[in-house]
Amino acid sequence: MDYKGDLYYIEQILAGNNNAFSFIVDRHKNKAYNLAFRICGNHEEAEELAQDSFLKAYRSLKSFKMKSSFATWLYRIVYNTTISHVRIKKKGVLSLEDFPADATDFIGNNTTEEEAEKEYRSSLVNFALQKINEEERALVSLYYYEEMSTEEISDVTGISKSNIKVKLFRARQKMLEIIEKVEKKKFIYHE
Amino acid sequence: MNNQEKYNEDLLRQYIAPEKIENAPEGFTSRVMTRIRLEKMPLLVPERWIKRNLVPVIFSAVTLLLIASAFLIPESQSDSLALPVLKLIKNLKFSMPEINFSSILHLNLPSVIMYAFIGILVLTVFDRALYGIFHREK
Repeated sequence: MDYKGDLYYIEQILAGNNNAFSFIVDRHKNKAYNLAFRICGNHEEAEELAQDSFLKAYRSLKSFKMKSSFATWLYRIVYNTTISHVRIKKKGVLSLEDFPADATDFIGNNTTEEEAEKEYRSSLVNFALQKINEEERALVSLYYYEEMSTEEISDVTGISKSNIKVKLFRARQKMLEIIEKVEKKKFIYHE
Repeated sequence: MNNQEKYNEDLLRQYIAPEKIENAPEGFTSRVMTRIRLEKMPLLVPERWIKRNLVPVIFSAVTLLLIASAFLIPESQSDSLALPVLKLIKNLKFSMPEINFSSILHLNLPSVIMYAFIGILVLTVFDRALYGIFHREK
């Protein structure tokens, strides 16, 4: 079935057809979940937080201004919900030892070496993401995974464009340092 | 973006694959919709308004009746116009316990103080009744 656009379904919901919200959830669930996951780094929590965000969006749908983008508005809710959750529940610092030294650790029953390497890189990025602060995680996620412009990120997070650029620069540097350390560890491990 | 930034950006992009997006788990939409339906469902059958507000309604009615009777029924005509209820009230013989404050507290309070206390009590009850009607949490 063709998606008729966010505004169409929002009008349906406001007119009393609550089931129309399922189309909106279906449309945006992956991006909302992904953003929550990248910030909190845990699948169970990410699902809970993404669900909470959709519920908040549903409850305050009347306050949504139809002129702006629904996706941006929704991501703002996901961002705020997840950031405040993570700030309350600060986790312990991950050590480099927590990360597997080798891509072979990612080889499963039906995975090739190439797939394992991809999985390794993806996990390494996640690991590096968990080592930076929650705000930087959100910015990296929106910029690299959601491929948003700094202007769009500014709309979601409320941070100025110039500040986003500075924060992204720092986040990139921190992540690359962590990745470099892990890669070095991997090199020593193979020596 | 200077050269160092560009280099960092490219390097990180080698690790980050945008297509490697974490998808929401199976049944996510139905779980959200279930939560929405549960939220909208009333937990208890709502009580009727009159039942919920029985006490303030009775207090308000009695207070209003007393105020109205005090203003609307002239003393000279009260016998001819008075309602049977008022007649009954008039005929009731109260014997209030006589408390002698002066012997307890060594105070000699004027009688107007007692009226003031009763007035405050009636106003308090009236206030609580109105509060119950207009400030009930939804």
